[in-house]
Amino acid sequence: MIKQIWLKEIKSELYTWKSTVWLLVTSLLFSFTSYLLLTNKELSLLDQTELLWILSEIIIGVALLIITIDASSIINSEFEKETAETLFLSPMTIKDLILGKLLASLSLWVAIFAVAAPYIIVASSGTDLALPFLFFVALLGTLGIVGFIGIIFAISLVYRSVKNTLTTSLILLLVFSVPAFFSSTLKNNPVAAWFSIIDPIDNIFSSLDNILVDYHTSILQNLNFIIPLSIFCAIGFISLWIAVKYFKKQGVIRSTQ
Amino acid sequence: MKKIHKILILVSILFLPITFAEASTNSPLSFNILSPSSLSGTAGDFVTVQSQITNTGTTSLSEITSYLSLVDTENKLPVDLEDWSAEKGLFIGTIEPKQTLPLNWKIHFVKAGKYSLIVVAEIAGKNYPQTSTIVNFSVGPKQNLNPGKVLPVALFTPIVILFVMVLLTYKRNSKLSE
Repeated sequence: MIKQIWLKEIKSELYTWKSTVWLLVTSLLFSFTSYLLLTNKELSLLDQTELLWILSEIIIGVALLIITIDASSIINSEFEKETAETLFLSPMTIKDLILGKLLASLSLWVAIFAVAAPYIIVASSGTDLALPFLFFVALLGTLGIVGFIGIIFAISLVYRSVKNTLTTSLILLLVFSVPAFFSSTLKNNPVAAWFSIIDPIDNIFSSLDNILVDYHTSILQNLNFIIPLSIFCAIGFISLWIAVKYFKKQGVIRSTQ
Repeated sequence: MKKIHKILILVSILFLPITFAEASTNSPLSFNILSPSSLSGTAGDFVTVQSQITNTGTTSLSEITSYLSLVDTENKLPVDLEDWSAEKGLFIGTIEPKQTLPLNWKIHFVKAGKYSLIVVAEIAGKNYPQTSTIVNFSVGPKQNLNPGKVLPVALFTPIVILFVMVLLTYKRNSKLSE
């Protein structure tokens, strides 16, 4: 059942030309950015590793934005199109629905990563960073994205509205993104330092900085970033589990008390 | 009256080089750039201009402001040091007779080309600056990036995606028409 839901979503997300335009725009953005980073006289004075780091931030940023938008609508569209009741009349559980939709959202991340891979390889040429770059973007990106999908799905099950879920999710993304761009001076503030430990986006960017700029390319050297990201991922699943309980209590057709 | 003016101008012109020469020969300060050979490099490099300033006079000198002056010898233009050096100038409070002090500037090679550099010092109350000898150096273009390789990827990835999109649409339409 999970596979059927996943394939159905993939078809609607990647089968028509309209649904893949975003992928073309994403590749154009990566093309423009990598070409500018490598050819612009002023920017090319930066160290190559700094350029790789900027590219990694753009890849992760674009992926998070697209996944947030997709995850905000993928469950809610069933409620808004009133197809949820029909779905639950079939021998399908809420777990099947969520896992199928989770796989579909993760497939978009796989598509973005596949598009980004040639840029990663060409930008890293001349350094030994191509493989660590690919590996850690995949690992850190997957951990962060799974955590975000969990939280967004939880919001979806509570709100059952695309508009409200999308607004909340985008604000949540903004809340986590802005401190990640704070300068190190600002991060010295105790509150900012504490937030930077729990902020998944800050952890992803800091870990990529550690790998690409400081050449700390082993998992052990990045555990201080991977552990908080894994905790964030777990929080995503816990919130989803709580939301499922709430959803089951409310029923497919929400009871009006 | 006009004659007197002409004579005065002539005399001042004759004596002007002597005054300059006097200023430079009686210079109480001497500069020594220690790292002229290490100055060459590639755009993007950070190098340190190491120099020494010595008070060759018999009295101490106060309030000396020293700075770098860079000229692009290919384009015959002075270079704005805003991006090249974080230290705009170095201030020396007092330098005793026969004392030597180090003057180091960290500079960032921003653009490839040929350049000349001098260290200039101004002593409070003196009418003429003191300068070092000219150091010529060249900055090579940065080679470690490969813009040539990124162009095919930047062009072909969107083209491949566009091709896949067209193929999917064609496949879908042909399925619908069956």
